[in-house]
Amino acid sequence: MNAPYDAAIIGAGHNGLVTAAYLARAGWRVMVLEASDRVGGATKTVEFAPGFKVNPGAHWAGALDPSVLVDLQLHDAVTIIPADPAVFAPTPDGKSLVFRSDLDATLESIRSFSSKDAERWSRFNALLDRASGLLNVLYASPPPEFPAVHLRDLPTLGRAARYLKKLGRREMMEVLRVLPMPVAALLDEWFETDVLKGTVGASGIVGVMQGPMAAGTTAVLLHHELGGAMGSVRGGLGELTWALAAMVRERGGEVRTEAAVGEIAVRQGIAEGVVLEDGDEVRAKCVISGIDPKKTFLDLVPAASLGSTFLSRVENIRFRGACARVHLALDGLPTFTAAEGDQHVLRGAISISPSIEYLERAYDDAKYGAISTRPYLEAVIPSLVDDAFAPAGKHVMSVYAQYAPYHLGGVGWNAAASQRLGDTVVDTLTEYAPDLPSKVLHREVLTPVDLEQRFGVTEGSINHGELMLDQFFFSRPVAGHADYRTPIHGLYLCGAGTHGGGGVNAIPGRNAARVVLRDRAKGWGSRLRRQG
Amino acid sequence: MSASTYDAIVIGGGHNGLVNAAYLARAGKRVLVLERRHVVGGAAVTEEVHPGFKYSVCSYVVSLLRPEIIRDLDLSRHGLEILPLESTMTPMPNGDYLARWADRDQTRRELYRHSPRDADAYDDFGSLMYQLAFAVKPILEMIPPDPTSVSVRDLRALFRLGRHFQSLGAQRFHELHKLMTMSAADYLAEWFETDVLKATLSASGIIGTFLGPRSPGTAYVLLHHYMGELDGVFRAWGFAKGGTGAVSEAIAASAQSFGAEVRLESTVQEVTVRDGRAVGVVLQNGDEYAAKLVVSALDPRRTFLGLLDRSHLPEDLLTDIERFRIRGSSGKVNLALDALPDFTCLPGTGPHHRGAISISPSIDYLERAYDDAKYGAFSRRPYVDMIMPSMIDPSMAPPGKHVMSCFVQYAPFALNGGWSPERREAFGDAVIDAIAEYAPNLKDIILHRQVVTPADMEMEFGLTEGNIFHGELALNQLFFLRPTAEWARYTTPIAGYYQCGSGTHPGGGITGQPGRLAALKILGKLK
Repeated sequence: MNAPYDAAIIGAGHNGLVTAAYLARAGWRVMVLEASDRVGGATKTVEFAPGFKVNPGAHWAGALDPSVLVDLQLHDAVTIIPADPAVFAPTPDGKSLVFRSDLDATLESIRSFSSKDAERWSRFNALLDRASGLLNVLYASPPPEFPAVHLRDLPTLGRAARYLKKLGRREMMEVLRVLPMPVAALLDEWFETDVLKGTVGASGIVGVMQGPMAAGTTAVLLHHELGGAMGSVRGGLGELTWALAAMVRERGGEVRTEAAVGEIAVRQGIAEGVVLEDGDEVRAKCVISGIDPKKTFLDLVPAASLGSTFLSRVENIRFRGACARVHLALDGLPTFTAAEGDQHVLRGAISISPSIEYLERAYDDAKYGAISTRPYLEAVIPSLVDDAFAPAGKHVMSVYAQYAPYHLGGVGWNAAASQRLGDTVVDTLTEYAPDLPSKVLHREVLTPVDLEQRFGVTEGSINHGELMLDQFFFSRPVAGHADYRTPIHGLYLCGAGTHGGGGVNAIPGRNAARVVLRDRAKGWGSRLRRQG
Repeated sequence: MSASTYDAIVIGGGHNGLVNAAYLARAGKRVLVLERRHVVGGAAVTEEVHPGFKYSVCSYVVSLLRPEIIRDLDLSRHGLEILPLESTMTPMPNGDYLARWADRDQTRRELYRHSPRDADAYDDFGSLMYQLAFAVKPILEMIPPDPTSVSVRDLRALFRLGRHFQSLGAQRFHELHKLMTMSAADYLAEWFETDVLKATLSASGIIGTFLGPRSPGTAYVLLHHYMGELDGVFRAWGFAKGGTGAVSEAIAASAQSFGAEVRLESTVQEVTVRDGRAVGVVLQNGDEYAAKLVVSALDPRRTFLGLLDRSHLPEDLLTDIERFRIRGSSGKVNLALDALPDFTCLPGTGPHHRGAISISPSIDYLERAYDDAKYGAFSRRPYVDMIMPSMIDPSMAPPGKHVMSCFVQYAPFALNGGWSPERREAFGDAVIDAIAEYAPNLKDIILHRQVVTPADMEMEFGLTEGNIFHGELALNQLFFLRPTAEWARYTTPIAGYYQCGSGTHPGGGITGQPGRLAALKILGKLK
């Protein structure tokens, strides 16, 4: 039998590949196992109609943690095109709010709605920077295991305390105050323009089955503030995961596709490798799962090797997929009334978020199990900035739509419901771009159930579990196990369902790699502390 | 200026103001309480609005009055008698009902009828809540520390708090964290499967808030139901003999026995500030009173913006108070009845009439009631929690007649188009309709009705925006952030001016705790 790998990594999503790349860089022999026929997970680019491509998972690469880009020299491997303008948000009365990289231009756009809001914009962003800066500090290392405070947590706590102290008394309290707030309440304190509040507030609801009036949505907004400027990857987001896979292979690692893991081999509480669905065994000194915690623990680990308290905590993790995707192959560029013929403003995100009330009403439908009558949409036309996405003269539009509840009422998701969802999304956009229907050559709808199947994520939850305050920080994925280690020795998590996760930010992948490297440096000793 | 100078003047004779005055007087201070209305109690009053029928006009149950206050102020001797509410019954649309009775075994049998699994879980749930209520208690009993401070006192308090959390152990700490951050609906879904049980339990999490059962932050209040048990009272919810006003009267009597003066129909217009120091008050009628210090039991909006000239206050505080959220969400309907309401699910007179009856048939029902309010309407089908005090204390109504207290949610203060007499009656009708669905004889037995909207609560009882807690109990407005980060320890930027109302830690409800903690703080400074 072959010598065991140093690490077997389950799932070739971006976090799994980042972990693999860090370990390979440290000289480890790694094996990445991907169930589907290509790497990337939800960070990939696919052709959904002949010649038309989309990023069916995430739109953007902007959230990537800058340290990962540097550590893995990703800047050399992929080209990030900054989105400018970043956001074009049309209103029902034919106006629009546009966020550009040029601050003055953004202020001018805000001023066209309210000069008071324009005056406050920079101060508001400074507050967001200060508050998200705290998350950045916390995401730099595994969270403390509250309520116990171990010696090893002191540096993390010290950094957070120093960060807060540096802000000064007033600003420190302000950061602590806003963290648990509903994003709607926060925005009400600052602004009066509906479309401004709706568009900023939309970042607070991404991927959660809650509306903007729910406590905790400010934290979601702050989470999405992290990383660099919003941008797309030339050739598609899939280039990023391709580059990561290539990097792993270059360093002697292996990346196998169509290699679905059936079970994690656990003997006497220690993970010894994995067994593939086709019966192949891959032995490894440690196993790192990049898939979500529910799938990891409930599908792959023998139940007998986990305690009942831990299992019930995992079962209680809320996933509740809230979003869907609609992809449109277009014969030409749709004409947005508010764009006034200026194609340039469509190069970033097109946000259908005219007000907080609009978002909240969209949620109201979903909480009783229905598709939003008028959903929040974030549409992109990647073919405007990158020829790779559509044939010459044609365009492609990719729409993120919320809310489409995974637990749809009535008979649940079927072809008719999928059709209805697609129609709702197109109808909603048509209110802002009346000629859209006439341009549609082909349409693909991915319901939460489709997302679940396609990306292997429970309930189609893009964040691998709702990113709300009770499933955050020291309780992500579950309380007492937020440091990427698990009750099984040698089994680690590195996916978006862990601390720092949610979105394409590579933080869990990086942090998990550091924890695993540290554990091995200590002769795997520290993982034994979990025994019993 | 009057010749005599008081040690302290307390503005507002609500229960917290009275508790504060009583503690100060008990420590030998010369105290004057000034109350705007003709009766003490603030929102904790009993009034004979219709001849022979006594209503607990606003607050209608006694839940969390701290036992140390009852003891320290000797409230039993001053006439306080709390009678337990023995059950909670929720009628269901299918003609069935869900009840929880005084007798544990009977409750278990009843729950078993709905779901054997829930009957089992209910006991475990109860004992966990009991433990967690115990865990929270020390926090509700402490003056909040200032996390930005490096003073020995604050650091010591923070350290004690940290030690306290550690002493809870991981399991209880994490459950507490979940309760603080989750919605009541989500938290209860981890325990129970019976919708009507989850709905009725979650209803306690939404009382007084402008949140629905699916809003994060509502799980915490589930604990309150178990707080009372800690103190050896049978259930958290009780009813004061003589109505809620009897609580205030007992506290006032206690304060007076310690020498405090209580002056009614005395509306304070302004706090007199000289050289940055509060030195007394001016009444609306021009009377002036001097004191070494002034304590406001009013809500934070009124305490700072109503009684002081803005020029006395720092800009930061003005900002903080203006954005402090005080959205009223509830109303009250008080009924004088010719007979008892007859519930279809439990016909005739029964033990359920001695307890609370809750119109909370499902989580969706409550959530939809909230949806209406979110957009500025009162709930078409509201959540109603009712009790019939005359069943427990016959003196509340003429022989053979009854009074019924209905707490109603949601009624937004900021009603679309504003509150008017017509809208008040329409709201009252919606409440009667919601109850009559389950007790069809109700409409025929109503002799009188009093409808109290949030606008009425503001006008009559001085509650800004009709918020019964003097400000929302949201995570960003609790503990060291209540009412503002800078002024969460009962002090204000004006020397000698203090706060002691529900807008301070630990918040609303008839606990007396803000009044007591403020008194302790003041006495520490007033040696």
